[in-house]
Parts: sequence; C-alpha cells; structure tokens
Amino acid sequence: MRRACAAALLLLLTAAPARAWRLWGEPSDKKIRPVQALHDANKAAEVVAALTPQFMQTLRGTDLRQAYVLLGEDLFRLGRIDQALGVYQLGVQLFPKNVDLLTRQAGLLHAGSLDEQAKVLYRKALDLEPKHFGARLGLAEIDKALGFPDRAAAHYEVALETMEERPDVWRDYAEVLLAQRQFKTAELALARTLALKTNDPDALVLLAFVLRARGDHAGAIARLDGALAHGAGVGARRAKALWLLEAGRLPEAEAEAAQILAEVPGDAAALWVRARTRLAAGQGVKACDDLTLAAGEPDNARFSARAARALCAGIR
Amino acid sequence: MIRRLLLLLALAVPAAAASDLSADALLRDHLWREVRLAEPGFRPKVGLVLSAGSLRGVAHAGVIKVLEDVGFPIDVVAGTSMGAVMGSLYAGGLPFDRIWSLASAAHVGSGNDLSGRRLISLLLFDQLLSSENTEKLVGRELGAMRFDQTRKPFACVAMDAYTGEAIIFRDGDLAPAVRASMNLPGIFRPLEYRHRYLVDGGVVDFIPVDAARLLGAEWILASVTENDFTASRPKSVLESLTQVIDIRGSYLSRDQRKQADFLIEPPVGDIGMFDDKRVPEAMEKGVVAASKRIKDAEESLILASIPLLSASWTSAQASR
Repeated sequence: MRRACAAALLLLLTAAPARAWRLWGEPSDKKIRPVQALHDANKAAEVVAALTPQFMQTLRGTDLRQAYVLLGEDLFRLGRIDQALGVYQLGVQLFPKNVDLLTRQAGLLHAGSLDEQAKVLYRKALDLEPKHFGARLGLAEIDKALGFPDRAAAHYEVALETMEERPDVWRDYAEVLLAQRQFKTAELALARTLALKTNDPDALVLLAFVLRARGDHAGAIARLDGALAHGAGVGARRAKALWLLEAGRLPEAEAEAAQILAEVPGDAAALWVRARTRLAAGQGVKACDDLTLAAGEPDNARFSARAARALCAGIR
Repeated sequence: MIRRLLLLLALAVPAAAASDLSADALLRDHLWREVRLAEPGFRPKVGLVLSAGSLRGVAHAGVIKVLEDVGFPIDVVAGTSMGAVMGSLYAGGLPFDRIWSLASAAHVGSGNDLSGRRLISLLLFDQLLSSENTEKLVGRELGAMRFDQTRKPFACVAMDAYTGEAIIFRDGDLAPAVRASMNLPGIFRPLEYRHRYLVDGGVVDFIPVDAARLLGAEWILASVTENDFTASRPKSVLESLTQVIDIRGSYLSRDQRKQADFLIEPPVGDIGMFDDKRVPEAMEKGVVAASKRIKDAEESLILASIPLLSASWTSAQASR
C-alpha cells in the first residue's frame, strides 16, 4: 500500500509541471508574465490597471509576491505614494519574510523621512539576508543623514562586497569616509569609482573635496578643472572660484567668478568672490555693490544673502 | 531574466545623493573653513555650555561627537550637574572615544552611590547619600587635575545651600567641584567644600551661560537636556523629588536659553532622571539632534565671525 502511494505521488509530481494547472487553474507564472512585461516597458498605468484585486486573487506564491512588488513600484512611478505604501504594507503583512517587499516599504518610509520606521524594516531584511544590498544601502543613507558616518561606512563596506561594480556606491562610501576624515581611504574608494566610470565629474568633484580637506589646494583645483573638462556644471566652477580665493589666487578667482556670472547672473557665490577681490583691492564701495546684489531682496533669508549683508555692514 | 533582476535590485536601492554644489552650500563650506582656521581675535571666542539633566545629560556626549566630527572650534566649556561631568572630561582632554564609552556605561550608581541598600537607608533612616563616586570618576579619568590644567578653560556650577547662591567654580581642584555640581539635593549629602555647603547647580543655574561668559565666551552654543515633566507622573518619593527639581530647572532655563547664541536640544525629555536603560537612546538622540542642527550652528557662528574676519581679509590682502 505504502509503495503504491509513493508511486502515485511520484507520478503526480512528475506530471504536475505540465498538467497540474488543469486540476487547479492556470499556473500564475503565466499570468504575471505579461504584467511584468508592461512594467519593464515602463507602462505604469497599465500595470496598475492590470493588477486588480480579482486578478491578484488568482496568483500564488512567488508570483503574488512579485505582483505586490510591481504594483507598489508602479503606483510610486505614478506619484501615488500613499497607495504604494499601502500595497507594500499589505505585502509585508502577507509575506513578512520577503526582503524585496521589506526593503521597498523601507525605502518609501525613508523617502518620507520616517527613518526610525524604515530602519526597523531594513534591519528585518538584514536578519533574513545579512548582505542584502538594498537594505545595507538604505541603512547607510539613514545613518549618514542622522550623523553616524562610521556606521554608514560599515554598511557600504558590506554592500560593496556583493556589488563592487557600482561606481555611485563607491562614491557614496568615499563621502562618508571624508566625513570621518579618512582621506586616504576616501581617495582609494574614489579611485574605484573612476576606474568603473572614467572621468565621472561627480567623483572628480568629490576627489577635489578630499584633496582640499587634506590641504592639497592645488591638487583639488586641478581635479575641479578635470571635472569641468568632463561636463561638470556651474557648481564645480563655483567651488573653483571660492577655492582660488582661499589659495590667495585672486585674479584667477575673479576670472572664474566672471565666467559664472556670465552663465548665472546674480550668482551669490560668484558675487561674493568678486566682492572679496574688490575688497582686497581697496574698492570697498564696489565690493558692497556686489554684496548688495548678492543679498537680493531684504526678506531673502538664504545663507548667502545673510552673509553678504553681514560683510557689507562690516565694510560700511 | 537577469536584466529584470538588476532592474528590481536598482529600484530597491535608495537613490544616491550628489554633493551639494549650490551657492549657499559652497559659500557656507568656504566660510566655515575660514572660521575654523581663523587666528584668535578673528572670530568670537566660542563657549560650549552643557545643561543639567542627570542621566538625560549623557545626550551631551552625542552633541560633542558631532561638534568634534565637523571640527567645531570650542574655546571654553561650562557645565552643570551631568553637564559638568561630561564637560570636565571633555575640557580635561579625555579622548572622545573614552568619553563616549563612559557615557555609554553610565547608570544610576556610576556617578553616585545609589545602590538599593543605600536607597533603603535614605528612605527608612532619613540618611542622605554620598556623591563621592562622581569625584572618584573624574579623579580616575583625569588624575588630580586642577581647573588651570584643563586643555580648554572650564567652569562648573553648584549651589550654596546656606545662601542659595550659584557658585561658579573655575579654579582649584576639578574633581570636588564637579562632584558638588552634580549633588542632587534631598538625595545626596551637601558637600562641604571651600567653606561652602554645596548642592547640585541645576537648582539655580540649569544652563550655565553665565559661567561660560565669565570664561570669556562671546558666542555660546548650549546643549540642553531638559525634562518634559508634563509627560511623567511621579510614583515614588524619589521621583516626586526629582520631578520638582526638573520643574525648577525648566523654569530657570526659559530665560537662560535666550542668552545662548545657539541651542541644540536633544529630545530626551521623556527619559527619567535615573532611567539608565535608555542611556544609549539618549546618546543617539544627542547625535541626531546635533546633526540636524549643525549646519545652522555653523551658519550662526560664521555670521557672527564675518565682522571680525573681514578685517583680516582687507589687512591680509593689503600685506600681500
């Protein structure tokens, strides 16, 4: 009898993949596939329309989990963030051990500045999968924002063990190393970024910050030049103008400021640089004119405006 | 399939933030560097003031951590009660890791003898306890240091129980003064020291801005670990007593907080005076509160420094 049962079970299992759907409905894998294709084609509205509650009731196991992931992501893409969060919450309740759902819900909470709640979910994900890339990066971002660069660095290190081909992650890792004043390691991390993404302007700019923090102003300015040569925006030029000022290279600083002002008239940092060079030349009135321009309207409470007002008052 | 997996993985990962290269951020960064490197006289003398608050005061360690991380220039330090303990260790030059480790291990008996036996003795026999462990702690970590030997000038505050005066200590031996500053009235025996009968300074000087000013501070950052006394209902004699002290401290701090140039207030008001289980949480809240405010603190100090720095900008350029 036992042998007969075993033989019947074996037969059933052997036949199941091909025939079983006739007994209890079509395997859900086939149902989710077209929805997945819509998602991959960035057709978010169609994915949301397709994943009705009735349709989702017909799904099972992995495919149902995937349906929650797709629905949450596409609601997010459509800007329906509250609904996306609701979908993830439901998904996590149904599948509390699914790291994809946990990390997605955590990501949304983090984006909404609900970091304490996000941390709990990321940690749950790490309990299930200690090297989960997304959870590690999420926690790294939160720790960085909360003022724990050392903890953030530890998360980046684990994440990079599994995904060492991501130049942006190496760059973020370098940023927290810079915050901890680990300049040499930050340089090495940025070297990895630049090896993976040659002449990446963001990495070159960050490398410039590292070199400046180490006291190598000339090297820092050279890196900014490199970044500008490879498409860095006006921000890099602003930094260059200010750092030339720090280095006492006033004519060059003024020339950079002029270039910025040609591109962005009224740029507060450029006006500050020009005012400082004019102040150094004994042209206090002209310096004040620049600072007044940088300060803008009296109710402008931006830092650059307040600084300009303070310096102008000092000059007067 | 692999492409799909990578896409999913990418979506699960938070977006990377680029460096802030806005005019405001870069100008702040540039001026902050100038302030940090400024010679004395070209920026205001900066005072760090650490409030009273018993075990809540371990949050000061979190605040100090952030200040150290960004290289905030601190010229003088003043503290009351737990603020005096943390401040003395910091001003005394103890490595920050050690301060963090001591704060992490803080419990009701670490600074004061608050063992169960002693508390029973207090309640049954009306015998006040001794706060000598605070003195031992400071002595063990800093040796027989005097105020004039600290790495940064330091002052702490106690109250004379005879006269009600706030006594600001800034000379003599460090450890007994810190002990006097953290000597809760009604629980610990007043300390007889330098012809005074001293109890906790938090009763009269919760945020010792005046002490920092006496040390010459021109710009003051105060870390305040005030109690939210509306959030708790005392259930014992000890809790009632500490609640009354906290209420007094809160009223005092209303005016004192206006005298500081910048405040960092870790949200530790719901942490009880002796709630040592929540020490790590208090420290983390100190870090988080300080991190959230540190850019504003930098901006505030920069703006206060610009009138002084501008003299160096003109004179330095003229000399070139």
